[in-house]
Order: sequence, then structure tokens, then C-alpha cells
Amino acid sequence: VSNESSFDMTCKETVTLLPPYLDGELAGRPQVAVSEHLASCAACLEELEAMRGDLALLRSGTVPEPVAFIATRVMAEIRQKGRKAPRRFGRLAGTVAAVIVVAFSIGAGVFFGSGLSANGNERETGSTESAVAYVESSTTDLYSFMAGGE
Amino acid sequence: LSPPGPELPDKPRSATAADEADLAARARAGDEPAFEQLVRMYERPLYNYLYRMCGNGADAEELAQAALVRSWEKLDSFRGASSFKTWLYRIATNLCYNLKSRRKPTEELSEFLPAPDSERPEAEFRQKVREELVRRALDALPADQRSALVLSTYQELSYREIAEAMGKSVRAVDSLLFRAKTNVRKQLADARAKGIV
Repeated sequence: VSNESSFDMTCKETVTLLPPYLDGELAGRPQVAVSEHLASCAACLEELEAMRGDLALLRSGTVPEPVAFIATRVMAEIRQKGRKAPRRFGRLAGTVAAVIVVAFSIGAGVFFGSGLSANGNERETGSTESAVAYVESSTTDLYSFMAGGE
Repeated sequence: LSPPGPELPDKPRSATAADEADLAARARAGDEPAFEQLVRMYERPLYNYLYRMCGNGADAEELAQAALVRSWEKLDSFRGASSFKTWLYRIATNLCYNLKSRRKPTEELSEFLPAPDSERPEAEFRQKVREELVRRALDALPADQRSALVLSTYQELSYREIAEAMGKSVRAVDSLLFRAKTNVRKQLADARAKGIV
């Protein structure tokens, strides 16, 4: 077993480089060094042939035909779903919007809630409905804005 | 289903990288027929990749469909820094990892393989055994080694493309492939010693 080449490549170094050598990913000096080492080292050459054998075995396997009409199903699904509008501000903006909506909700609840305790039950119904309508309106506007609507 | 590619179903049929980039740009702008062309280019290579990752056709079909649909939904985030192909493989790889993390290991080899009989010629049986050994060897690999090996060996992606598809450096891919091939060797050693392969 040779442990040296003109580039002083050891067997250990050569074996490490055999996969990229086999895959055609080596170039320049490393490729030359591996080739030179293989030319004079039976053990590393044997290792290379074993790797080739493994790859040939891996490639000998077949894949069964897909049963499903994948492309047809994909196109049907995206036509059914429709395309999401491009997000202008990304995920962070979505989070910020959600926080604003929640803050508005809480604020509206506190505001109208305080009116309830001051003015009795008759105000309670009207206040709650107003708060809900306000929050729904704010949410709709925000989602419309995020989706790129006017 | 469009007919599979006659020579290399692991690789997309026709279309150069420039064609693909053009199709991806048009699809990103909302051009559905352009996206459909991409889908038909990649449905089979993607299915083949996922079959070798999952080890069964049903999961591969489901994941291929999910990956393609997700790619349509996420096209806004595709900036063209990588190719559409590696971007798509990355989506598929992540979906596959998620699925595999929820699954149990498969059964033992002896439980799977049927005995040879008069209805099953010897050559066919041996091929079946070889395929099963390969499947087992791949299945025994850690997910990232398996992904790198399948993308390299079957899909014939370059190390740079594999790095893009896996979100890793080229050096990391090199290391993964070395370990994957070493592990496959160990997995197949017993069968080799017995003369099965």
C-alpha cells in the first residue's frame, strides 16, 4: 500500500476524497493527487471499486409508477384554493396587525365596559354590540389591507 | 398523469435552466399555465426522490402533491437566488422530514421478503431482494445523509445544488455524502459476504 504520491496524499486522505472523485466534484490538484495515488495504491483502488459497486447497486433499484395523477391533482387543488395575494410586509407585519387587533379589542372592551357600569343594563346591550361591530370592522380592514386590498 | 420520461425519470424532462427560470418568473407573476409546465416537469423526479426518501409510493405521491401545491403558495418568497428545482426539493425535503419524524421504523427484512416459489423466478426474486436491501440501507441512514445521497445518486444534483436544496454548505454536503456512503457500505457488507449482492 502506497501512502504517498507526488502531492503526498495518504490513503486516509484519498479515501475521504473518493466520493467527490467518483461524483466528478473534484478538480485541479486534488483530482490529480487522487488519480496519482490510485495509480500506485491497490488498496485505495479496491476501495474505489467497492464504492462504484455500491452506487451501481443503489441505482439498480426501480421506482414503481405513481398511481395518482399528481400534476392533475396539483392543478385542481390550486385552482380550487386560488392564489394567496402577495404579502407586502411579511410575517412580522401580520404579527403586528394581530397585536393591534387584540389591543383594539381589549381597549374597546374596557371603554364600553366602563360605560356599562356607569349607565346600567340598558347601555350594556348597545355597548357590547358597538364594541363587537367596531372590532369586526377593524379586523376586516386590517386583513383587507394585508391582502393588498384598498 | 403525463407519461414518465423514457430515459431518466429522476431528472426533469426537457427545459434548460433558463427555461425553468423563465417559467418560475412567470408563475410567480401568477401565470398558471407556466406553473403547470413546471409541475409536469418535476412531478416524476420529485415523486422518485420522495419514494426513495419515504420508501413507499403512497407517501411519495402525497408529499409530491403537497410540495408542488406549497411551492405555488410560496412562490412570492422565491427570489430566484437558487434554482426553482433546488427550492422545490427543499420544500419536499422539509415535508418529508416532518412526515418521517412522526413515523415508526419499518419492519425487519425477514418479515418483508417472501420466499421464492415456482411463480417467482429466481432472477426476479434476487432483484427483489437487492431492491429491498437498498431500501433498507437507505432507510437506515439518518435523514440528512439519506437526502444528500438520494439527491446525488438518483437525482444527479451537483454538490452545490444539494447544498441549496438542503440549506447546507457544500463542505457539509461533502461530509454527509462521505458518511452516507460509508454507512451504506456497512449496511450492505453482510449481504455481500453472503453473496446476495
